[in-house]
Amino acid sequence: MTSIMVVDDDQDLAEMLGIVLTGAGYEVDLVNRGDEVMALFTSQNPDLVLLDVMLPGLNGVEVCKLIREVSMVPIVMLSAKGDKQDVVAGLEAGADDYMVKPFDPLELVARMKVRLRRSMTEVNSELFIGNLKIDQIEHSIIRDGQVIALTRLEFDLLVALAKEPGRVFSREALLSEVWGYRPATDTRLVNVHIQRLRSKIELNPEDPKIIITVRGVGYKAGVPGSSQ
Amino acid sequence: MKTPLKAWRSSLVFRVTGTIVALSIILIWLLGSALFSRVSSGIFDEKLKLSILDAQSTARNTQIQLSFSKYQDKAALTLVFDDILALPPKTYESAAKEVAVFSFSNIEKTFKFDGTSNQLNPNSIPISLRETTRKTNTTQWERTNMVYLDGRVEPAIVVGNDLTISGVGKYEFYVIFSLAQQEKTMSLIFNYLLLAGVALTLLIGLTTYFAMRRLIAPIQDAARVAEELTKGNLDLRMDFQGEDEIASLGYSFNEMAVSLQQQISRLENLSKLQQRFVSDVSHELRTPLTTIRMASQVIFATRDSFEPTVARSAELLISQIERFESLLTDLLEVSRFDAQAAVMEIEETDLVALVKETIDYVHPSQDRMIILQAPNSPIMVDVDPRRIKRIIRNLVSNAIDHRENNNIDIRIVETENEVSIGVRDYGSGFNYTDRKMLFERFWRADSSRARSTGGTGLGLSIALEDAKLHQGEIDVWGERGKGAHFVLTIPKFAGGSIESKPISAQL
Repeated sequence: MTSIMVVDDDQDLAEMLGIVLTGAGYEVDLVNRGDEVMALFTSQNPDLVLLDVMLPGLNGVEVCKLIREVSMVPIVMLSAKGDKQDVVAGLEAGADDYMVKPFDPLELVARMKVRLRRSMTEVNSELFIGNLKIDQIEHSIIRDGQVIALTRLEFDLLVALAKEPGRVFSREALLSEVWGYRPATDTRLVNVHIQRLRSKIELNPEDPKIIITVRGVGYKAGVPGSSQ
Repeated sequence: MKTPLKAWRSSLVFRVTGTIVALSIILIWLLGSALFSRVSSGIFDEKLKLSILDAQSTARNTQIQLSFSKYQDKAALTLVFDDILALPPKTYESAAKEVAVFSFSNIEKTFKFDGTSNQLNPNSIPISLRETTRKTNTTQWERTNMVYLDGRVEPAIVVGNDLTISGVGKYEFYVIFSLAQQEKTMSLIFNYLLLAGVALTLLIGLTTYFAMRRLIAPIQDAARVAEELTKGNLDLRMDFQGEDEIASLGYSFNEMAVSLQQQISRLENLSKLQQRFVSDVSHELRTPLTTIRMASQVIFATRDSFEPTVARSAELLISQIERFESLLTDLLEVSRFDAQAAVMEIEETDLVALVKETIDYVHPSQDRMIILQAPNSPIMVDVDPRRIKRIIRNLVSNAIDHRENNNIDIRIVETENEVSIGVRDYGSGFNYTDRKMLFERFWRADSSRARSTGGTGLGLSIALEDAKLHQGEIDVWGERGKGAHFVLTIPKFAGGSIESKPISAQL
């Protein structure tokens, strides 16, 4: 059974989330404090973490960083403010997605499904983007025999671009393909993740060769095999 | 470099100094010329007096000399006269002194004698003086120029007397005194006066200039500080010393700056406090709202098992929670505008694609309710796409709310620097006189009218604020029963401004 870890200091909200998610068929662990997350995380090893930003003990952004140090598990931040700094800080700390309260529970479940499905289904093929080899069976990225560690979302993002090498993806298209968003709302999500991804895979993130920006439109994959 | 005219207009120092210098030049000129004329006439009068006395005594001595001589013929007479002319006695001030003798016309030819000393041109003696000398017996004088045969010229006084040789007749006798010495003195005095005048003028000018500068400096300082304050540099103050009027200006000015700074920082704090409050309230409201929303969704999902009234209540609950939510979102946005905390995130965006996307979002069904007229090529603009999308969404939902089953026309027209998006509906419209009120918060065209789709009443107000952030405008036309036309016009490039409007709201 898929297990979800819900971290929120509001007990009622956490309980309600528990009801909704249990109803959707997930096993749910509830945590109320930021500093209690890691202990439970290592013992339970959840498949996805729902993480509130404002937490007692340790705030959500810090918790997110701690989780990322040990795991590439999908993390969805829950923000009450919806302010730019909050959201960007969460994404930069390694969160895959975020939901602004008050969110639609159906949409939350839908997005969680996308995150969980993507990280479980594997396509039986190898892809190339720039000078990288994407091994979808091993779920790994290889450059010159070296494996680069990516989160599942980053992997999905790279795969989406690599699958259609000629296509220029608008941010909205990426949002709906990778995050499962309906008519796109917030393209910052894409910007931040592209930047994080570039910092991991590009030799020179200032002059990207693997994920190329198409001004005014979006992004496209670099030519396979091109040297940097 | 400023032109003099500009300097005159813009600089008080320049103007005051100029005026004072001009006035002192006039005054010094008047005083100087009065002084000069008094001095010069005094010197001349003194010389004249001496010259007349000298001439009279010379004439007397010559008369005596002539009286003792015997004149049988012209030769003897010439000898005597030559003797007289050869060595005219010097004046005591050793200025040049010449002598001239002319015989009267009635003198016998044998005794006629005309002559001058030292090659003086006889024409140096003015004819008018010679006439009066011949007619009267008294001493006459006149000013003239001594002209020598070699071309030398000197200013002079000439004094005329008669000489009488008994048995022969009368002779005109002139003594000519050079005024060169006096002339030199006068020109020296003139030069000194001129020098004194120029020096005085300069002194007055410089004194005025520096005095004015000193007086003006604090004022300039005040102006500079005021300018800096205006720019937002609130910590700047005026420097001043002492306890005079200028110091009191400085003191009052600084007092003003302090009070201004306090007021501003108080307002800033207030604004920050309000922003914080709004942000906190939002946070506090959002969490329970999320719980309520989820709870209502759970209830709604199982409504089939409820009695019809309870089921209907669940539906109402969920729709009202949605409305509450959008109201909260809009209120937060409005408060962000009020606190001037709205942040623009400019991106290069294709406006045509943006409009199409927004229309799909607002009205996803494929019937031909909305007819879009747009260029086939993209229109790239520097905008915050989230805000522009929100404006279009507001305008389009507004049109859908009031269309009364008629189509909606949306047009995009660009010029070189601007782009307009016009949203035209043919529905209920509004009184044209109410057009300004449309953008007021919570304003309803007809307060008694039932709310159709439950807009928050803040949409147009937010749209207008969003447009203003882009230096854009929203123009509007409407008529009751004929529909409405909203036109958003924005500059295409960041930092631009609207110079013309590709679409006019007026039909």
